[in-house]
Amino acid sequence: MPDDIDELRTQIEAESIESAEEAEAFRIKYLGRNQGAIPDLFDQIGELPPEERPEFGKRLNALKEFAQERLDEAKARLEREEQSGGADVDLTLPGRRGFRGSTHPLTQTTEEILRILHGLGFSTYEGPEIETDWHNFSALNFPPDHPARDMQDTFFLQDEDDASADAPTVLRTHTSPGQIRIMEEQAPPIRVAVPGRVYRNEAISYKSFCLFHQVELLYVDEDVTMAQLKQVLYSIARALFGDDVTLRFRPSYFPFTEPSAEVDVWWADDESEDGGQWMEILGCGMVHPNVFDAVGVDTERYTGYAVGMGVERMAMLRHGIDDIRVFYENDVRFLDQF
Amino acid sequence: MKLSYRWLSQYVAPNWSPEALVEELTMAGLEVETVTPIGQSLDGVVVGRIEAVREHPNADRLVLCDVDLGDGAPVQIACGAPNVEAGQKASVATVGTTLSLPNSDDPDERQEITVEAREMRGEASRGMICAEDELGLSDDHSGIMVLDEDAPVGLPLTEYLSAHDIAPEDAVLDIELTPNRSDAASHIGVARDVAALADASVERPEVSVPEAGGPAADAVTVDIQDEEGCPRYVAMLVKDVDVQPSPLWLRRRLSAIGLQPRNHVVDVTNFVLHECGQPLHAFDRAEIANDTIRVRRTDGETDFTTLDDQTRTLPDDTLLICDAERPVAVAGIMGGANSEVSADTTNVVIESAYFDPSSIRRTAKALDVQTDSSYRFERGVDRAGQEWAAARAAELIATLGDGTVVPGMVDEHPTPPSPPTVTLRPDRLEQVLGMEIPTGEVTRLLTAIGVEIDAQDDGLHCTVPTWRPDISIEEDLIEEVARLHGYDQIPEPERVPVPSRTPEHQPGTVLERQTHDLLRGRGYREIYTNSMLRTDRAERFNVPPAGSDKAPVVETKNPISEEMAALRPRLLPGALDVMQHNRNHGQDALRLFEFGHVYRRAQEHEASIVPGYAEHPALLLAVSGPHAPTGWDTDPRDADLFDLKGLVETLLDDLRVPELNLTPRDVSSSNGRVPITQHQIDVTVGETALGTLAQVTPDVAADFDLDDHPVFVAEFHWERLAAAAATDGARTYTPVSRFPVVDRDLAVLVHAEQPVGPMQNTIRETGAPLLRRVDVFDVYQGEGIEDDAKSVAFTLRFGADRTLTDDEVDAQIDAITDALDREHNASLRQ
Repeated sequence: MPDDIDELRTQIEAESIESAEEAEAFRIKYLGRNQGAIPDLFDQIGELPPEERPEFGKRLNALKEFAQERLDEAKARLEREEQSGGADVDLTLPGRRGFRGSTHPLTQTTEEILRILHGLGFSTYEGPEIETDWHNFSALNFPPDHPARDMQDTFFLQDEDDASADAPTVLRTHTSPGQIRIMEEQAPPIRVAVPGRVYRNEAISYKSFCLFHQVELLYVDEDVTMAQLKQVLYSIARALFGDDVTLRFRPSYFPFTEPSAEVDVWWADDESEDGGQWMEILGCGMVHPNVFDAVGVDTERYTGYAVGMGVERMAMLRHGIDDIRVFYENDVRFLDQF
Repeated sequence: MKLSYRWLSQYVAPNWSPEALVEELTMAGLEVETVTPIGQSLDGVVVGRIEAVREHPNADRLVLCDVDLGDGAPVQIACGAPNVEAGQKASVATVGTTLSLPNSDDPDERQEITVEAREMRGEASRGMICAEDELGLSDDHSGIMVLDEDAPVGLPLTEYLSAHDIAPEDAVLDIELTPNRSDAASHIGVARDVAALADASVERPEVSVPEAGGPAADAVTVDIQDEEGCPRYVAMLVKDVDVQPSPLWLRRRLSAIGLQPRNHVVDVTNFVLHECGQPLHAFDRAEIANDTIRVRRTDGETDFTTLDDQTRTLPDDTLLICDAERPVAVAGIMGGANSEVSADTTNVVIESAYFDPSSIRRTAKALDVQTDSSYRFERGVDRAGQEWAAARAAELIATLGDGTVVPGMVDEHPTPPSPPTVTLRPDRLEQVLGMEIPTGEVTRLLTAIGVEIDAQDDGLHCTVPTWRPDISIEEDLIEEVARLHGYDQIPEPERVPVPSRTPEHQPGTVLERQTHDLLRGRGYREIYTNSMLRTDRAERFNVPPAGSDKAPVVETKNPISEEMAALRPRLLPGALDVMQHNRNHGQDALRLFEFGHVYRRAQEHEASIVPGYAEHPALLLAVSGPHAPTGWDTDPRDADLFDLKGLVETLLDDLRVPELNLTPRDVSSSNGRVPITQHQIDVTVGETALGTLAQVTPDVAADFDLDDHPVFVAEFHWERLAAAAATDGARTYTPVSRFPVVDRDLAVLVHAEQPVGPMQNTIRETGAPLLRRVDVFDVYQGEGIEDDAKSVAFTLRFGADRTLTDDEVDAQIDAITDALDREHNASLRQ
C-alpha cells in the first residue's frame, strides 16, 4: 500500500491539465468523494495494522494536499489563460477599433497659425461675416468708386428696403473689417488676430472659390515699425514652412496700409524650369493714417501694422493640394488624410 | 500690363538681363507675373540680292530665283511669295539655318525647321527667302520681307535690323500693376523706376513741344463744357498725311506687347500711349464738323457706334467728345466709327486730354469695356503730360506719313493745378520703417523719381511730380523711399516689444478648440461647407425662431448662380450634401461635425451686430450608419438617437454646461410646414434655447439618397452654448469622500408608456442628498410582464461623509419607492 501512494504521486505528477474538463476529470479521478483514488486509499486505512496507520495517514494527507495544489495551480493557470484569450488565441486577429475622427485641414492650419500668434502675444477676435459697407470698405480707406466695390468682386445683400443703396450690406471680402471693429471697441495697445471666413464673387475653379478663410493680424501701439512687421511675418512663415524657408518681402498696395507689402515663399519644384516659383502667402503693411482717423486713433502717437493671410493658400502649400475645391467637398477619404 | 524689354531699353539701359530686370522691378513693387521670350536669333539669315526670277517648270505657284548671297556664285532658291522680283534685296535663310516657323494650322504655335539644300518639284533649292512672320518679326505673311535697296549683300540680317532699331529677340514682361501705380503704365513710366533703382537717368526722345496757340489753335476750336470731367484738352493737327502701314520697327513695338498694327496714324497713337502713358485719339479732320471739338455730357441715353463697329447705349451723364453737330468719341474710352482715321484721311486731329478718373471709371463700368485708354485714365494719367504726348505723336505721324505738323497747339486748360507739396520728416521715416536711411540717400531716391526737394528745418518739403497722383501724404513718400531703397534692406529685429497685457480670447474660441478635441476623439470628422445655397432650399430648412413665424433667409443681390443665391439659415443642408456625397462614394458610417456661421434676417427689435441681420456661429453634429466599425466578432447596429444624445450629454458635461434640460418636443406640425426632423429633443438652459437634436425625417433623408440608414443631427447656437458653459478655468476643488459607498438596484413595473426620464428625476430629487448617482440599467417589456407594462431597473449609489448604515439606505429606498409609486404609478418588481 505504501507503494500505492508513491505510484499515485508519480501518476499525479505526470497528469496534464490543459482544460477545465481535464481539471474536472483530474478532480474526480484523484479527489472525487465517490471513486477518487485518494479517498479510496483513505477508506483503506482501516485495513492497515494500527502501528502503520499514523505514518500512512500522514503520507496520504500529503499526497492529497499535493493533488489539491496541482489542481488549484492548474485551475488558476487556466483562468489566467482564459482571461488572456486562451492558450492558442490568434493574436493576428485585428483589434476592435473605434472610428477615427479628424479636424478639417483648414482648422489645422488656422490653429497652427493661431498657436504661433498666441505665443507672440496676440489675442483672438472673431467678427461677423455679414458686414456694413463702412467696416468692409469706407473705414479701410477704399474710395467710393474703388474697383473692389464692384458687383463682380463683392456679394451685396438684398436689403429689406433699397434706401440703403449708399450704404449696402455685404459679405465681408476680407477679415480686415475686424481691425475696425476692434479699434472701435478698444484703445491701443491692440495686438489681435482675427480668423474668419470671407467671400469673393469670383468664378469657381481649381484656384478660386467663392469663399475662403483668412487670418488678420493687427498690432497698434507706440513705436510699431515695419521692421517689427517683417520680423513677426518671418517668424510665422518659419514656423509654418520650416527654418530653411526662403522668403521675400516686396512692395505692394492695399488701400488700408501704407507702406504696403506682400510676402512670397519660394516653392521648390524640380519639374519646373526655374526649379520652383515664388508663391504669395500674405499681404500686409503699416496701418494707413486714414484708417486710424476713421476710428479715432491718434496717428502721431501710434503706428501699427496689419496683415492678412489666406488659410487655404497656406494649407495648399503645406499639404501639396492643387485644387481649392476639395476643401469644401469633404470627401471622407480626403479628410482622413489629416 | 505688357512691357517690351527692348522697347524699355530705348529709354534706360542699365545693362540688366531680362531676368535681372524682372527681379528688380518685382522687388520695387512692380510685380512681374510672367516673362515671355519672343523672336529668334536669326543666325544664318543674310541679306541677299535677287538676280533673276523665272518660272518653275513643274509648279505654277513657285518661282525659281537666282540669289546672290555675297559669296560668289548665286544660288537657286524656290520661292512661293507673290511679291518676289528681280533686283530686290531680301532676307535669306542660308542652308543650315534653324528657324522657328509659324504653324499655318495654329497661329499660336511655332515649329522649328532647319533649312536644307533640297529638290523642290525637281528643281534645286539652296535656302529660303523669308517673310517677316517666318523670321518672327511680325505676323505678316503677305510676301517676302523686302529690304532697303542699299543693304549690303551678305550682311547678317541681325546687323541690318539693328541699324534699323530692330532687335530680332525680345522678352515681354507682364506686370501686375497695383492700382496706385498709374505712373508706371508705360515704358517711360517703368524706365523712371529702373533709372532710380540703377542710379541711371531716363532718356526721353527729343520732341519740340509747340507753344499753345498758333495756326493749329486758329484752325480748331475746343470748347470744354464740363471742366470737372475734362480739366484739360490739348489738340494738334497734322496735314497732308499719306496714311500707310507702319514701318517694321513700329509694328515690332506694338506686336511685342500684343497690339495689332493697323495704319501708321492709329499705330502712332498706340505707340505713344505705351511709350509715355498718355492715351491719345486721332480724328479724321474732314469728319469733324466746323473744326469744333466740344466736351460735354450726354443728356439722356444716347446710342453711339464706336470704332469697333459696335453700337452702344451710352447712359445719361456720359462724357462725350463732340464736333459741332454730333458725338465723335466716348471720352477717354473709345473713338467713334464716324470720325476714325481711314486710308483716305489726309488731315488728322490729335486729341491729348486729361479726363477725371472716376468719370471714366463710371462710364467704362456702365459700358462694360476696358480699353488701354480707359485703363490709364481711370487710374489717373500724368496731370501735365498732354503737350509732350501730342507733340510726339504729331511728329511721328507727320514723319511716317510724309505729312506736315500744323504749327502750334490748342491747349484748353481752364484751371492748371499747382503741384502738391508733402513734408517728409526723417525721424518719422525711421519711426515707421524701423531703420535709418541717411537723408542724402532719401533725397537721391526721391529726386530720381521726379520729386523736387526743399530741405527745411521741419523736414524735406517734397513737390510731387505730376505723374504721381497717388502720393499725397507723408506715408506715401515713406513707401517710395522704402521700396526704392529695398524692402529687403529692412532689418529683422532680434527682439520686439510686446504690450504688457495678457492675450484675451473669446469664450467661444477656447471652447471650440476643446470641442474639436472631444469630437475628434469620438470619431467625428470636421467638415467645412459652403455658406451659400439655393433660396428654396434655404427656405425649406429655415426654422423661424421660437415665438415667431417669420424670419426670412438672407439673399445676395448678385449671386454667382441660382445654386448659391441665399445664405444658410442652419448647417443641416450642407451636412446632408456631404453625407450624400460620401454615401455615394461607399462610406456607410458617417459621423460629422461643423462649426460655421448661420444667417437670417433679424426680427424687429432683435439686437444684432449689423442692423437687420441676425448671424451667429453654430455647431452641428450628424451621424448615420453603423455605430461602430464592423469587427470579426461584432455586427454593429445602426447608430440611433441615443448614440447622438449620449454624445451631446457627454459634450455638454465636458463643457460644464450646468442646469441643462433636454426636453422632447413635438415637431410633427409647425406652421403648416413639412417637418425636416422628427423625434426632436430641445436643449435648454433656463429660458435659453441652446439647440436641438433629432432624427432627419425619412422623406428628407431620401431626398439626399440617405435612405439606407437613419440620419440624426444635433445643432447648437454656439454663442449661447459658449455663454452657458462654465469657462472659468479655476474650479474650486471638492474633497473626494473617503467613506464607502452603498450600491442598490431597484426594479419597478410601470405603464408601458411611462417615460423613464421623469422617473429618474423623481429618484434624484427624493434621494438627495445621500444619493450620489442613479443609472438606468434595464428597460424590459415581454414575457413575464403584463402586456401594457414594462420593467425599469435602476442602479443607485449612496454615499456621505461618513459610513452609511443599512437602515439609512433602506429608508432612502423606501422613500424613493413611495415617490415612484405616487408620481409614476410604479410598483416594485418582486
